[in-house]
Amino acid sequence: MPPIIETIGLTRLFKQNRAVDSLDLEIQPGELFGLVGPDGAGKTTTLRLLAGLLYVSEGSATVTGFDLRTQPESIKPKIGYMAQEFSLYAKLSVLENLSFFAELYDVSKAEQKERTERLLAFAGLTEFKERRAVHLSGGMQKKLALACTLIHQPPILLLDEPTTGVDPVSRREFWNILTELHLEGTTIIVSTPYMDEADRCSRVGLMYAGKLMVCDSPQGIRRQIAGDLIEIFPEDWQAAHQIVSGLPGVLETQTYGEALHLLVEDGKKLLPTIEEALNNEGITLNGARLAPKRMEEAFISLIRRIESEAEESD
Amino acid sequence: MSIRHIWAVTRKEFNHIFRDRSTLFLVLITPTALLLLFAYALTVDIQHVPIAVLDYDRSSLSRSFVQQITAGEDIDLYAQVDTIGEIEDLLMHGEIKAALILSPNFSNDLLALKGMPLQVIIDGTEPESGVFAVDHIAWRAEEFVNQAVSGQLQAMGYSLDSLQPIDLRIRTWFNPSLKPRNDLIPGLISMVLGMPALSVALTLAHEREHGTLEQLMATPIGRAELLVGKMIPYIIVGLVNVIVIPILAMLWFNIPFNGSFVLFFVLSAFFLFSILSLGIIVGVFMPTQAAALALSFLVIFFPGFFLTGIFFPIASMPEIMRLESLGLPGTHYAIITRGVFLPGIGLDVLWPYAIMMVGLGFAFTGIAALFFKKKLA
Repeated sequence: MPPIIETIGLTRLFKQNRAVDSLDLEIQPGELFGLVGPDGAGKTTTLRLLAGLLYVSEGSATVTGFDLRTQPESIKPKIGYMAQEFSLYAKLSVLENLSFFAELYDVSKAEQKERTERLLAFAGLTEFKERRAVHLSGGMQKKLALACTLIHQPPILLLDEPTTGVDPVSRREFWNILTELHLEGTTIIVSTPYMDEADRCSRVGLMYAGKLMVCDSPQGIRRQIAGDLIEIFPEDWQAAHQIVSGLPGVLETQTYGEALHLLVEDGKKLLPTIEEALNNEGITLNGARLAPKRMEEAFISLIRRIESEAEESD
Repeated sequence: MSIRHIWAVTRKEFNHIFRDRSTLFLVLITPTALLLLFAYALTVDIQHVPIAVLDYDRSSLSRSFVQQITAGEDIDLYAQVDTIGEIEDLLMHGEIKAALILSPNFSNDLLALKGMPLQVIIDGTEPESGVFAVDHIAWRAEEFVNQAVSGQLQAMGYSLDSLQPIDLRIRTWFNPSLKPRNDLIPGLISMVLGMPALSVALTLAHEREHGTLEQLMATPIGRAELLVGKMIPYIIVGLVNVIVIPILAMLWFNIPFNGSFVLFFVLSAFFLFSILSLGIIVGVFMPTQAAALALSFLVIFFPGFFLTGIFFPIASMPEIMRLESLGLPGTHYAIITRGVFLPGIGLDVLWPYAIMMVGLGFAFTGIAALFFKKKLA
């Protein structure tokens, strides 16, 4: 099947800054593609470019077969775009917002009625349909925004950090909706700062300084990180941090609150060694275990590797 | 152009106007408020100018002269003084705007037909009142001379009629009718009815600031559809003012409306279309509401005030300003408002101005649609 989105050397300059730098990306129909990366990596610019909201500086791209540079208006009916900030009409009610966008996308009245009901139920907004958008909670606003981008049943969804600033329950609900859409066959590109969300994607692209550094399935990305993961809970994590990072076989340490995550060459062999080393220094351990690697560790490890490579090349 | 898209935007914008108090105030109340403000602030009705009199002559003739001058509403006798020093003091404190000094030879010279030795001192920091006082005194003096010395003049063989032309000229100058107001208020109406242009400039910038424009750009809406859809509600709300304001002018300011109201209404719709198009251009180019407000004043209101001939005749402007004034919808509309009120002029005279306004409207909308891109950057 031909890719539904294809970019070749897609670049966007802001003054001298290459916000998106030679992006080569192929998205297959039906993918749930996660875009991750630190702030300022170019995720928002990428999504805006694909939505036809920014001029392309260099390179080319096609979306549903249309050229992004020359046929952006043909692409627009095919996509549902959700900006990072709330961008609906605060003074309009839930229903009025939905019907406004339905009209702009030329959804027939009969279809509007049916879809509005379904989307309201889908987003859990049925009982708030007369409420003005400004009076909705943050999570409900996000769900309304998603509903508005779905009103014309676009084959592609471009969502820019749709769950940022949303409480965990709403976040979970939102992702349940996305998963349903994914199962229905909608192609979704979603940027997110949350690694647990990245884990739910079928493929993840890691951006850094405008470049797509890694692009793989979540499992594939985890596999890119060498070694096993050991999780320890020391009483004095600062002292423990110093001791374990000097041990042979420990590749990398990351702190998570009171816990230390260690990437090591051979977990089974090193776990007793580490416990012993900390005991010898008089540091009490509240727990130590081998754990499966998550996207979070992989992401941090990859970013560290990229950053140190960037420093070396400077 | 899809009527459906335009209507969707229009309906949304109507909701915005009626649910946002500041916008509603701006489009519905401001024109009336501005008309009242400007009409009172700018109507040059100088009355009761306080003056002091220093009468060195102290004759019955000089006393009756002072009495004649200060009779009526125009000039008030604030004080009779004895020295120049007192006059200076009163002027310095702003208690009087002018002072009249009668020389010791006032009645002698007058009766000897040697002239009328008068001195008037005015407060140069407020020349309007001072000059008014001087002119008033000069006019009254002329009158007084005629009465006081008519006997002598006739005895010397002059005809009183030969003095009339001078007298008439001054009278015309100070005809205390409401004529300037009758001319000023229709001019002001042409300006205040353009107020919705500000709102339409702000609404586009508002959408840009609140991110809703980004969302709109991601939809298939046409550029002209969006701009026209945004203008329609402001034209309709503006037409409410077109009904309210002439009624206010007629009932409150007693300005006669002799023309056809239907014609005025239709031409006002043309004007709103053209001035709102100018507002749309401002909204297209300005990134924020603050910037849109500033530019609105620069390209809509100040020129609307100074270049449309409401206060300053266009004929006396430099060439380049005259050209610019032709490009302002207000210039043509001011001629229309002035025409339909007092003279009651009809379409047979006003059609070129109507065509100019519609032409400008299409030109401005075209420019706006051309430069409005569905891109953030």
